[in-house]
Amino acid sequence: MIPPVGHRRGTLGAIAHWAALVVATVLFLLPFFVLLRDGLAAGWSTVADLFTDMEIPFARSLLNSTVVASLQTAGQLLLCSLAGYGLARIPYRHAPKILYAVVATLMVPTAVTFVPSFVVVSSLGWLSDLRGLVVPGLFSALNVFLFRQYFLDFPVSLEEAGRLDGLSRWGVFWRVVVPNSTAFFAAIAVIDFIGSWNQFLWPLIIAQDSSTWTVQVALSSLLTAQNPKITLLFAGAAVSILPIVLVFVLAQRYLVRGVTETGLQG
Amino acid sequence: MTRRTALTFWLFVGPFAAGLLLFTYAPIGWSAYLSFFDARNTVTPTEFVGLGNYVDMLTDRAFLDSLGTFSLFALFVIPTTVVLALVLALMVDRVRVAKAFFRSVFFLPFACSYVVASLVWKMSLFSGVDTGVANTVFGWFGGDPQAWVGTVDPPLYWVVLVTARLWLQLGFYMILFIAALQRIPAHLYEAAWTDGAAPGWQTFRHVTLPGVRGALVAVLVLNLINAYQAFDEFYNILGDSRGYPPFARPPLVYLYYTSLGSGGQDLGRGSAGAVILALVIALVTLLSGKVFRRSS
Amino acid sequence: MGVERSRRSFLVVAGLLGLAACGSNTGREGSAAGTLRHWYHAYGEDGVQEAVRRYAAAYPDADVEVQWNPGDYDSKIVTALQNSAVPDVFEAQIKVDWVRNKQVVPLDDLLGDAKDDFVATLLESQTVDGKLYGIPQAIDTQVLFYRPSLLAAAGVTPPTTVDGLLDAAKRLNTGGVRGLFAGNDGGVGVLTAPLLWSAGLDFLSEDGTAPGFDDPRAATVFAKFRELHTGGGLLLGAPTDWADPGAFVDGKAAMQWTGLWNLPKITEAHGDDVGVLPFPALDGDGAESVPVGAYSAMVNARGADTDAAKAYVKWLWVEKTDYQTEFATAFGAHLPARASLAEKAASLRDGPGKDIVGFVADGGRIASPARWSATANTALSDAVSRIAREGADPVGELRAAVDVARAEIARLGR
Repeated sequence: MIPPVGHRRGTLGAIAHWAALVVATVLFLLPFFVLLRDGLAAGWSTVADLFTDMEIPFARSLLNSTVVASLQTAGQLLLCSLAGYGLARIPYRHAPKILYAVVATLMVPTAVTFVPSFVVVSSLGWLSDLRGLVVPGLFSALNVFLFRQYFLDFPVSLEEAGRLDGLSRWGVFWRVVVPNSTAFFAAIAVIDFIGSWNQFLWPLIIAQDSSTWTVQVALSSLLTAQNPKITLLFAGAAVSILPIVLVFVLAQRYLVRGVTETGLQG
Repeated sequence: MTRRTALTFWLFVGPFAAGLLLFTYAPIGWSAYLSFFDARNTVTPTEFVGLGNYVDMLTDRAFLDSLGTFSLFALFVIPTTVVLALVLALMVDRVRVAKAFFRSVFFLPFACSYVVASLVWKMSLFSGVDTGVANTVFGWFGGDPQAWVGTVDPPLYWVVLVTARLWLQLGFYMILFIAALQRIPAHLYEAAWTDGAAPGWQTFRHVTLPGVRGALVAVLVLNLINAYQAFDEFYNILGDSRGYPPFARPPLVYLYYTSLGSGGQDLGRGSAGAVILALVIALVTLLSGKVFRRSS
Repeated sequence: MGVERSRRSFLVVAGLLGLAACGSNTGREGSAAGTLRHWYHAYGEDGVQEAVRRYAAAYPDADVEVQWNPGDYDSKIVTALQNSAVPDVFEAQIKVDWVRNKQVVPLDDLLGDAKDDFVATLLESQTVDGKLYGIPQAIDTQVLFYRPSLLAAAGVTPPTTVDGLLDAAKRLNTGGVRGLFAGNDGGVGVLTAPLLWSAGLDFLSEDGTAPGFDDPRAATVFAKFRELHTGGGLLLGAPTDWADPGAFVDGKAAMQWTGLWNLPKITEAHGDDVGVLPFPALDGDGAESVPVGAYSAMVNARGADTDAAKAYVKWLWVEKTDYQTEFATAFGAHLPARASLAEKAASLRDGPGKDIVGFVADGGRIASPARWSATANTALSDAVSRIAREGADPVGELRAAVDVARAEIARLGR
């Protein structure tokens, strides 16, 4: 956090620096401004119209998005933290191979898996179903990787103290490691929630019945319609990002810390 | 002891591994298997065609175009992202006041979905009417309103697509760079100063750049991975109620339309295309990894 | 320690098994036993959605849930037909692939005596291998709408040849008004078929065994299409697309190629200053034409109860003639699919509406033939887009499209 020493900069440099920051700020905030301006162009009643308009089931889609994002986040936190810890701490003979198999999937593009995944999910009978939307996304190799990196850096001494007290590895995980890692879990939770809320391709092909549409699918349908109702669309978009922006602004600090703590630059 | 260790390991890793097997490895295997068969909308393949699907895809103009589109897109987006993210990181890190504010502003778009960004970009910022933001600005400089999304010659739609992605992604990569910048020990800068390095470019080149090299690699790899998955903004900006135009069709969009959309329900060819794409990506990633290892 | 751990792990495993067991292998069943799901695409006219929901609610023998689908409906249908029990009933135009993949149910037995009342060419267009798969709902066509006053002011006569159309578009381009609007893609989607017909060609040959555009005249006519694009008379980037009359109604274009369904909105905006034309012929060896098609009601073969679905389709689209008339004539203008209902369409009795009925009778061509596969259509559409919008070589592009079409015909012929 210390500004670099010996970095002399004239007033001209400082002005240029600030000007650049201001211009960039305007550019970055412009879309949000446009969203609000065009959404409310016809007045606040547009927001009320959103929930009564028959074109898309907006309220339902918001609910679906909330449920899916919450379940996915919780599920990912549980499954991926367990797996990450296991891969970080348990001296299993085949662990390196398993780790490799997990990380290798990071290289596999969605293009390869989305069609056969669709087939798997439809064979399970999970089309247009909450399970089809939530479950396939639970197994995030990236999350496991991040958790593993984090747990590798976790102070072993704390864990050893737990073991000396007679806890099993399972106990150490739940009673020692997790309670001391809430900030990191929070960071991952925010990233996962945002990712799940904003997901598009998967819900597009799985949620065929409009009662299972997530808010992204609903908005996309309106956008690609023959004659899109612009104000409705913008109002809907503004409403859809409101919860995320709120969560983001509040939890941003954790997010930044979480991202930097994963040692991605290593 | 090892048996207990094994059990414990699988207790922790088992559920995740089972899911990964079912929802990632099984589909990959299935895709590869299906690619050798003629499979139009069937869960079970019908006729063995060997490499027929592969030949079809490799001679399919639309598929090859999609690989070209992806390459072009990667070429536009990746260097721009890396440079701009680093510039933003430097600007934010070096400022003395309101650092958290600026960081938040640039990171905020991360909360926005590609769908929402697409609608703002398509309908308002780059809409074809003269009241669109871009056209208004263009008008100040005396230009005519352009149909940004629909103009193929010159391909103005790239401006729309690339700026959308930059807006959404720069903040995240900026954070990575800021973290890396903050890890550069202050004494390195002092040493450079006493060695006579001028502040600005020389310091940047000899102290800053090497210091962020790890982050640079991470940003590049993540960027590349993300570029392959390009779908959301393309589908929503260029697609409409009739389908998708033949230009700017990245591989994932093309495979979507071929396998599941109005382009033909051909799962066999779609799978072959997916496998080809995976191989191309693996190749590119390996090559770029080698290039970077050599340059260090 | 062992007990607690094994209990937890048991719960986790049991949970997963439970999830898997909850699924069934045959695809999801209807949400409640006996509910039929009915999909429509999003019609642009107001009132259609309420009307179809009303019809669905009026059905006495089952609960029918209507789903309205904005956006890319064609892709949604294809995805759903892959392996889903939803929808039970939907509207579409039949493709041979759906029949071959056993995705739709034959509906011949639903027509009964009414068979002769339906327009024969439309029934034929929904027939594959001798069986009928869709009951036509209402006939749609597209024509060239123009403003006689603007044409007169520019000294342009209503175009009767393709060259005339190109000339008109160029000369009508004045000030803030462009000559012609045919969609934000420059007309590639909607004008490809009329251009082929104008040259005396078609997607498929007469007997359907070969591509119908394997002819040097195809290159000629699409080269003209390119001229239309470079002439500057085309409006691109309108706020709404070709299917909406916005550009014409707001005076952004002097001519617009759009659907008959927009006739009420157009006459409301411009009153008598409205003229209509079919798509002109290229020359003496070609012909004027208008594309004709009808979204038809179909039944998903994988639906939970196809008999119930068929009964509903029969009730709504064969028996309830009052609903059919309302659907075709009360919202926008369409031609009823049945001869006995044709005279009930008020807006088609005189003026432009009457002219359009004449165009359909004289030069109506099926716009989306069953044997013209989606893959072939994409190949041709891509080729035309590259020729018209990027200036690619017509001969080379069309040859590639012909090859794809030929392969598809061979595949479907097997």
